Amino acid sequence: MKRLLILALLGLTACHRIERTDTAAEGQGATTPAPVERNGGRVLRIIMWSDYIDPDVVKQFEKQEDARVILDTFESNEYMLAKLQGGGASYDLATPSNYFIQVMARARLLQPLEAQKLSNFGNIGAGFLNPNFDPGNVYTVPYQYAATGLAYNSGRFTPSSESWKLIFGDTDTVRFSLLDDPREVIGAALKYLGYSVNSSDVAQLREARDLLRRTVSKRGFESFSGGPEVRNKLLAGTLDLGQIYVGDLLQGVAEDPNLKVYLPTEGTTISTDTLVLLRGSPNPALARKFVNFVLEGEVSAAISNYTYYGNPNTAAAPLLDPFLRSQKAFNPSQADLKSGKVEFINELKAGNTTRLYDRIWTDLKAR
Amino acid sequence: MIRRTHPALSAWAWLVYGFLYLPILVLIIFSFNDSKFGATWAGFTTKWYGVLLAREDVREALTNTLLVALSSTLISTVLGTLVGLGLWRYSTRFRLPLTFLLVTPIVIPDVVMGVSLLMFYSLVRGGLELTGWTFENGFWTVMFAHVTFQISYVALTVRSRLAGYDRSLEEAARDLGASSVQSFLRVILPLALPGVLAGALLAFTLSLDDFVVTYFTSGSGFRTLPVLIYTSVKKGVTPDINALSTLLVLFTVVAIVAANAIMRPRAGRGGDS
Repeated sequence: MKRLLILALLGLTACHRIERTDTAAEGQGATTPAPVERNGGRVLRIIMWSDYIDPDVVKQFEKQEDARVILDTFESNEYMLAKLQGGGASYDLATPSNYFIQVMARARLLQPLEAQKLSNFGNIGAGFLNPNFDPGNVYTVPYQYAATGLAYNSGRFTPSSESWKLIFGDTDTVRFSLLDDPREVIGAALKYLGYSVNSSDVAQLREARDLLRRTVSKRGFESFSGGPEVRNKLLAGTLDLGQIYVGDLLQGVAEDPNLKVYLPTEGTTISTDTLVLLRGSPNPALARKFVNFVLEGEVSAAISNYTYYGNPNTAAAPLLDPFLRSQKAFNPSQADLKSGKVEFINELKAGNTTRLYDRIWTDLKAR
Repeated sequence: MIRRTHPALSAWAWLVYGFLYLPILVLIIFSFNDSKFGATWAGFTTKWYGVLLAREDVREALTNTLLVALSSTLISTVLGTLVGLGLWRYSTRFRLPLTFLLVTPIVIPDVVMGVSLLMFYSLVRGGLELTGWTFENGFWTVMFAHVTFQISYVALTVRSRLAGYDRSLEEAARDLGASSVQSFLRVILPLALPGVLAGALLAFTLSLDDFVVTYFTSGSGFRTLPVLIYTSVKKGVTPDINALSTLLVLFTVVAIVAANAIMRPRAGRGGDS
């Protein structure tokens, strides 16, 4: 309901915003000089997910550039979008999820980052270059990614295989939970059935719906929960198997080394959070410097070693925490990424497909 | 003769109180839990309070929260009291529309309020920029946003406090020789005071835990506690936030007890006169 409201309001704000940007930033997407003066050229404003960057890295950048970094946080892509569209806050950089890029581009909130001109752009792994949500990396640089896996506590439960079958198959003894996210849940079912997570085929989606209906009516189905909740339930032992973002689970291993996570053999979903340069950016030059800084192998590794989220940076790979490198689920192979076995969640085609996903999700949640 | 409460009724009451307060109790207990994720009990510790005090962002957010709450409460209490008095005292054809306007901020969803204020501020900024002036969203925009919804609560509590009193009380005071200022200060205001204080407390609490409106009107770099806490929920709440919540609960309890102590004798005197 909340999201519906926000989206409805966005419709209203959009017209206003576009008018503003048209007059403010005509031409090659450069900003008006006024806001730059206002911020003295020494302040960088970033809005990102909470706890998503190593504070030491931020301090290092502040020192190196003699600048101040203002770091604000958001809880969902939708809230961030609404705040930006309202025009109340001027940020330089944001970290939306990949399936949100086109929404933001259409709302004319982004300006080209020209990442190819950055000296460290070459560090990005081939599997993350030229993604279909942003052909040619015009607007985005991949920041961190999250593959979705199945987690368990090996002290209490031993899975018989690394397959989605434990959840979607006929067994009824496993206590499991699914992520509270329509694309992840429907995506998992599609993957199990051998289809694409971005399928718009009605017959395939119907099959996924029937499978999910059976799944959530099983005795073992616990709930739709967010990552941290799943991790906590596994720690407490009230759950056998949980769908989870790999990073959320790995953070818990320090607490209990028995926590394990695998990427199911049938394939799974993955989503990247990206760095984008916002159209109203008061300080695009400093923002580009920051993006380049984050792309340095050492810095990028430090961030992943702090967040435990996936790292798209090849220069960072050897510098990652040995524990992270030892986790198969942390680093899906380039082959699996290229073949689409580990598949990116993309924006759906508007209209019918979106409605179908919505209807399946509502149907499941109502049970 | 008052009958004793039926045991089933009191059992029900205990159940309801348990339902309301057990989660808070659990939160307080887990703020002393020596586990980063707080799912299982890993021993007693007070370290999270230390962690909390060392967090600069929390201190800054706390200062912001209190500054906004105090200043917006002050403004909205004065304005809201005047509106409440006006509604009680004058009957004009604007009374119904005015009441309607007062109720609106209470019933419309926070998101609508937040986004519309955000748009309003950008429009104002756009207009000001033409004259060479400009401002950034931050303390002031958040503070005034809070005032906009607080006024309604104060005005309505003040009006309902006065609703039981006869309007001729003021006329009597005037007949006995009180000036309009005197009759306001010595008759009307004392009568309304419990309502004013209740409204102010309500306004303060609302400001203290407002997330949505604050989030949208705060611009960049100005964070209050609810914004800090809510936006970290996605990554799991750390135990130092439990510690913070415990302190807030403690603060609220003290404030309520103090407010009761202040308001009780006044209410008694009001009844006597």
